[in-house]
Amino acid sequence: MDSLNIPISPVPLTFEQAEAMARRQIKKHHVAVMLLHWFNAMVWLVELATGAALISSPHFRIAPVWYLGIVQGFFGSRAHMLWFHIAVGITWIVVFAVYGTFGFRTYLAREVLEREIALDWDDLVWLRVRLLRILGRSNEPLPSQGIYNAGQKLFALLVYAVIPIIMITGLVMAFHLMSMFLVAWAVVLHFLAVGLVVSGLMIHVYMGAVFPEEKPAFFSMITGTVNELYAYRHHFKWWKEVKMQERQWKQDMEGTGGSAGPEDGFPAAAETLGLPSDVTQPRRGLGEIVHRVFRTPGYWPPYVAGVGLGLTLLATFILMGEGLGASGGFTRYLGAVIAWVAPHYVNHSSYWSEYAGTGQSPLISFGAFELIGVVMGGFVSGWLAHRLRISVDKGPRVSARSRYALALLGGLLTGYGARLARGCTSGLALSGGAVLSAGAWAFMMAVFAAGFAGAYFVRRYWI
Amino acid sequence: MSAPFFPQFSQTTYLVVSLLLGFFFGFFLERAGFSSAKKLTAQFYFKDFAVLKVMFTAIIVAMLGIAYLATAGWLDMSLVYVPLTFLWPQLAGGLLLGAGFIIGGY
Repeated sequence: MDSLNIPISPVPLTFEQAEAMARRQIKKHHVAVMLLHWFNAMVWLVELATGAALISSPHFRIAPVWYLGIVQGFFGSRAHMLWFHIAVGITWIVVFAVYGTFGFRTYLAREVLEREIALDWDDLVWLRVRLLRILGRSNEPLPSQGIYNAGQKLFALLVYAVIPIIMITGLVMAFHLMSMFLVAWAVVLHFLAVGLVVSGLMIHVYMGAVFPEEKPAFFSMITGTVNELYAYRHHFKWWKEVKMQERQWKQDMEGTGGSAGPEDGFPAAAETLGLPSDVTQPRRGLGEIVHRVFRTPGYWPPYVAGVGLGLTLLATFILMGEGLGASGGFTRYLGAVIAWVAPHYVNHSSYWSEYAGTGQSPLISFGAFELIGVVMGGFVSGWLAHRLRISVDKGPRVSARSRYALALLGGLLTGYGARLARGCTSGLALSGGAVLSAGAWAFMMAVFAAGFAGAYFVRRYWI
Repeated sequence: MSAPFFPQFSQTTYLVVSLLLGFFFGFFLERAGFSSAKKLTAQFYFKDFAVLKVMFTAIIVAMLGIAYLATAGWLDMSLVYVPLTFLWPQLAGGLLLGAGFIIGGY
């Protein structure tokens, strides 16, 4: 079979080729698959909505109280709602059982096992490159993907692994099968399994319904087809497969072993099928990813670092009931020194007695220990990325000595301002901003206003 | 059991957790490039808005988390410290800190 005109890896398309391909549709999903998908989506919607409302214990509740009220009111009583939840769940199990039994060869074996969950080497490379690209650590091209990309396959794997758990534990809970001991475990497993799927479902729904590049994938679940250009760009291996099949079919019809028709108009690429050059990626493991993410110089993309910082801040509020800070910690160290030198003064100062009054040492505090952690964390991060060095960070047109003097002056202003406002950019602007303190936002605006206004006058020190 | 958890901590736990949270704070700040005064001040010359991006991403992530946990009844907001508002001192302090920021490079 001649396949010279089907490129082995994506080649740049001419404008005409791309236009023609954008108009051609190729079939992606069988109608039974689409029906099952939307049935499944509706079941999840209904079961999540009622399931969340069923968890009424204050210890495990995930939905706010008002939501519980609305949903229970809709069903009349909690018992009715439970009945409904179970009935929909059983319908779901029955539909899946029928589908799996009668469609085993057509759908389960072909669709699920061969397409949806079969991760191959290209997929592992794809996952690795994708992760590194998100972290700004790579600009390698993503390897070609089959009809589903590696992210979709991972989600499918998770769903197929977890759905039986949800079904079995649901049945155990609904009919109190076996001992109470097992029922109690079924409850926990049911929650955890649903939680796992929901975490993947958020990405699935975002990619399907919001992410602009994946719009054709969303509509393919309604029409069953995608345009060829999308298939070529996002699922090249699958596109190639479809083209090979079309060509084979055409040749069989014509009864010739004839040459490939020029109608596709692809340039005969140097890499053609059959050559052993088939995109060999050097094999690299998890160690390579860790190395690229943590050990290479260059900062993380701001939004990635921002999410890390935000999660740390959230954890701080959850654990300590307050946010992260910096100036408060320094104040406590200073308080400890003053209390050591002049205890009498500290006890009679309304400001300092709050920090370093008799009894507790100001150093046994969140702020003081947090600051030690900040130094350690910053050191470790810089050490990992080979950024550790002693240097004077300054603009090119200023001497180190003036930089020291300016740093002292700036530090005096910053320190006084932070104590006057009861917090610095971390303790007040960042932490107070996250809990919507009005003063924190006013402070933040003032900081940026003064920064932008003052920048002009000191420009020769920085740029 | 609902958050915040600090009332249940022993003194040692409290201090170890403080240290750990600080560690991650410092780690992510350094990862974002906030250890460089030049990078911090670059935003005031419209060259590099990493500071704004990191700060507002962090605020939004934490704010959404807190809002959800509080609405669901998991986080007792009466135990969470919300900085009090003293408008004039905070505006004045902000202006001073902003001036110190651009002069000193903090």
